[in-house]
Amino acid sequence: MISILVLLFIGFLINWTYSYYKGLEEAYIPIHDVKEIPIIPSEKKVFERAEYALDYLNMPRDENHQRTLETYYDNRAYAGAPPSIPHPVKEKLGIGGNICLQCHQNGGFVDKFNAYAPVTPHPEMINCKQCHAEQQTQTEFVASNFYKRPAPEVGNNNALPGSPPAIPHQLQMRENCLSCHAGPAAVKELWVDHPERINCRQCHVPMRQEVENVQRFIRTNNGTQ
Amino acid sequence: MYTSVHTDRRDFIKKMAVLSAMTAAAGMFPGIVFAEEQERGIPADANLDWKKAPCRFCGVGCSVLIGTENGKAIAVKGDPKSPVNKGLCCVKGYHSILALYGKDRLTKPLVKKNGKYVETSMKEALDLVASKMQKTIKDHGKDAVSIYGSGQWTIPDGYVASKLFKGCIGTNNVEANARLCMATAVTGFLTSFGLDEPMGCYEDIDYADTFVLWGNNMAEMHPVLFSRLLDQRQKRGVKIIDFATRTTRTSMAADKSILFNPQSDLAVGNAICYEIINNGWMNKTFVEEHCNFSKGLTKMGYGLEDNYKFADKPETIDFEDYKTFLEDYTPEKASKISGVSVKDIKYLAAHFGDPNTKVMSFWCMGPNQHSRGTWMNNIIYNIHLLTGKISSPGNSPFSLTGQPSACGTVREVGTLTHKLPHGVVMNKEHRELAAKIWDVPVENIDPKPTYHTVEMFRALDRGDIRFMWIQVTNPMVTMPKLKRYRDGAKKEGRFIVVSDIYPTPTTDIADVILPSAMWIEREGMYGNSERRTQYFEQMVEPPGEAMSDTMQLLEVAKRMGFEKQFYYKDETHIEEIYTEYRKHHEGKKHNMAPLEVLKAQSGAMWPYVDGKSTQWRFNAKYDPACTNGKDFHFYGKKDGKAVIWQRPYEPAAEEPDAEYPYWLGTGRVVEHWHTGSMTRRIPVLHQAMPHAYVELNPGDAKRLQIRTGDMVKLTTRRGEITLPASVNERAVPAPMQVFVPFFDEKMLINEITLDSFCPISKEPDYKKCAVNIEKA
Repeated sequence: MISILVLLFIGFLINWTYSYYKGLEEAYIPIHDVKEIPIIPSEKKVFERAEYALDYLNMPRDENHQRTLETYYDNRAYAGAPPSIPHPVKEKLGIGGNICLQCHQNGGFVDKFNAYAPVTPHPEMINCKQCHAEQQTQTEFVASNFYKRPAPEVGNNNALPGSPPAIPHQLQMRENCLSCHAGPAAVKELWVDHPERINCRQCHVPMRQEVENVQRFIRTNNGTQ
Repeated sequence: MYTSVHTDRRDFIKKMAVLSAMTAAAGMFPGIVFAEEQERGIPADANLDWKKAPCRFCGVGCSVLIGTENGKAIAVKGDPKSPVNKGLCCVKGYHSILALYGKDRLTKPLVKKNGKYVETSMKEALDLVASKMQKTIKDHGKDAVSIYGSGQWTIPDGYVASKLFKGCIGTNNVEANARLCMATAVTGFLTSFGLDEPMGCYEDIDYADTFVLWGNNMAEMHPVLFSRLLDQRQKRGVKIIDFATRTTRTSMAADKSILFNPQSDLAVGNAICYEIINNGWMNKTFVEEHCNFSKGLTKMGYGLEDNYKFADKPETIDFEDYKTFLEDYTPEKASKISGVSVKDIKYLAAHFGDPNTKVMSFWCMGPNQHSRGTWMNNIIYNIHLLTGKISSPGNSPFSLTGQPSACGTVREVGTLTHKLPHGVVMNKEHRELAAKIWDVPVENIDPKPTYHTVEMFRALDRGDIRFMWIQVTNPMVTMPKLKRYRDGAKKEGRFIVVSDIYPTPTTDIADVILPSAMWIEREGMYGNSERRTQYFEQMVEPPGEAMSDTMQLLEVAKRMGFEKQFYYKDETHIEEIYTEYRKHHEGKKHNMAPLEVLKAQSGAMWPYVDGKSTQWRFNAKYDPACTNGKDFHFYGKKDGKAVIWQRPYEPAAEEPDAEYPYWLGTGRVVEHWHTGSMTRRIPVLHQAMPHAYVELNPGDAKRLQIRTGDMVKLTTRRGEITLPASVNERAVPAPMQVFVPFFDEKMLINEITLDSFCPISKEPDYKKCAVNIEKA
């Protein structure tokens, strides 16, 4: 009698466990793999915002709220310096992180400042206040003699008339082109008219100094191998 | 591809696929082919010349690339090849070059005549300095002249200073401001291991699972390293535990923030050791093979009185003694002292205790500027030694530094009263080695140390010291209990020479001000926290008659008749000095990399043996100096064993009472470096942080009806100062505590701080004194 009960109980356990896991499986909604654009690892960042490229293409320009190069460079000590934070930051305690990324990861219009939030090219770096400092005053401690070199001009660094311009700025931490060259927060003069051609560096190459000088190649064995 | 012939077919197809992908990829970048054509017709502003240098500011030692054009530094970027910062900088680093171009840069020597500064030529000024020094030695003896340098001295600066004063003049009156920040780290290392500087390196960050930050606001003070921690958390899910007295950016970013009462870290540290031993988490084989137990004197005092002397008397104890001692620090008892919950103490201990967790500790000024700082350093090492979590990748007690060459120049060159480049003045063999390399009679080197920094300024006040040369530092902002030392320096019959790049409160007390060439206006080397020595070349011309500190010292030395010892040629003096300096450190334990290596790469870590940097010292796998045949060899101690120290909790020198009921702590902010003499001249940084403030706990502020921006009067037994309040802004102190940054020369918090110091390291405790606050 007991053995039958035990058997029944074991049967019940097996059945229960089976249906429990079965139930779990049903509750599981399989996530379909997002089809990624095939990429070259070292160029990965170029494509980071590629999924928005078509939106950028079809987006009408909001001329009234576009940034200009002048305001863009006003906010930097020199071309390539991390911009300071031009607006008050409510959250004082903390390193920035999600508080900053709320607006600066994907951008969008901010009523309060009547402007589009610029998109960061490096959202993975979350200690924002490490490099970007909120300005509290416009006064100086003492005057500075620092020479702020004029920023590279736009649109004239082509090799041939009409050929794609080379990239006149450092790429370090700015590898993602679309974050600054497309979208409503992009600077008027830097707006690219073909954001859908997401493989930017196919045609636009960095200027020299970015690359190390390599000796001219000389074949020593005269092709006998 | 030819080698793939003998692999199987599938492999071959795979490789062909890869190859065709690569060909296709190459086809996508026609720019490589047309690079030359692309560059033609490019505007001239692409012709930036980028050269590498270690950053001018903190001890992390980031490698930066500096863009120059037409003899001016105009841009900065992080050096992607640097194993330190991997291309990232902080806001100070990115704007560092602006520090060269403040409008009030000192360009001509100034000599005080009838209370006024008169411009003169460099030659005359140096003549005056040399003759004044000679006259002081004649009238008052060699111990009446002194030099006070800095962890911002380059290695050659500190080396020639030491050689001139210790070797040639024969006085041990050589000190540096690192006494105010790193002296405790040094005594911590020496007592526990017998050799200075961290055994591990920054690469430990890539292997550790848990990071414990001991009173260390890394997000602001070592932001580039903190970003490496955050990066690891994103990639590997590591844990960051902030153990501090105040809620900061670091606490907010950490996985766990634990607050403790000032000074009680000693008790919590011991409680962690108690837990490790009593839960059986101790690594018995490691402790038996590699550790001794010792105790020292207690109730040492606080150094508040002039001519205070203390020498510890170490005594060997056994494990059982140590275990009994720890009975006083059960988590329950430590919790009462520290205000940390028993649960949190056990939480901390469990991270150290878990044999599968690699733990890295970071600390900087919290345990160092501490009246029992050497003890606190020892206790952190105790924890790592008891668990054997030391000297191996990811297991690393790591003492951070605040100045670019506190390690390189002060600790390694030995610009402290008791030190020599190799060893200490008290040791005959060490004196003999130094005298031989310096080409001076060994009798020149005095075997008795003289004054540590605080005592040196006291001696200046008393009149025991009559001549002081201050280089690359700003003691009239940084000395605790400042008023006494400023008044002392201004007394009749004192002669003060200050070498600096801008007017500061320290140049205000000078009789002669020498304009210095800074950083990339000259050639030099810095040594960072991870034993990495980095070289920088001269990239721009110094303004006016500004001259490097090395050159100033050489010129004065020659004028004093030491041409034989200071034989270096002007064009190659940095290289000659460095080559001579390397001789002091020859051998597997401390060999320095040759200059060619430093020029070719982003620095090298000593011991540099057989063309290789040593990443983990004392570990036989990585360190060729280990010779005992075991896995670890703590060769700094004679028997090859590290010391676990029995160090109790003792209260601070001055604790809050009825009259002064609040704790006052001081420190730094991310935007400013040291006393702000450079960073305040960088508009972006000044505008982000224009002045000092006093941070209050919101509860205290509410009770006192103080809001952000209201003026608050702070009163201590040393005086009073009024500052604007900061409530719920950058950071939040615990109840009944206030915090003030020290960078602002207009609001000198050090007027009211206390000059108590750790009796072993003689480093002042800037973090603790009693204060009263009221709305002004």
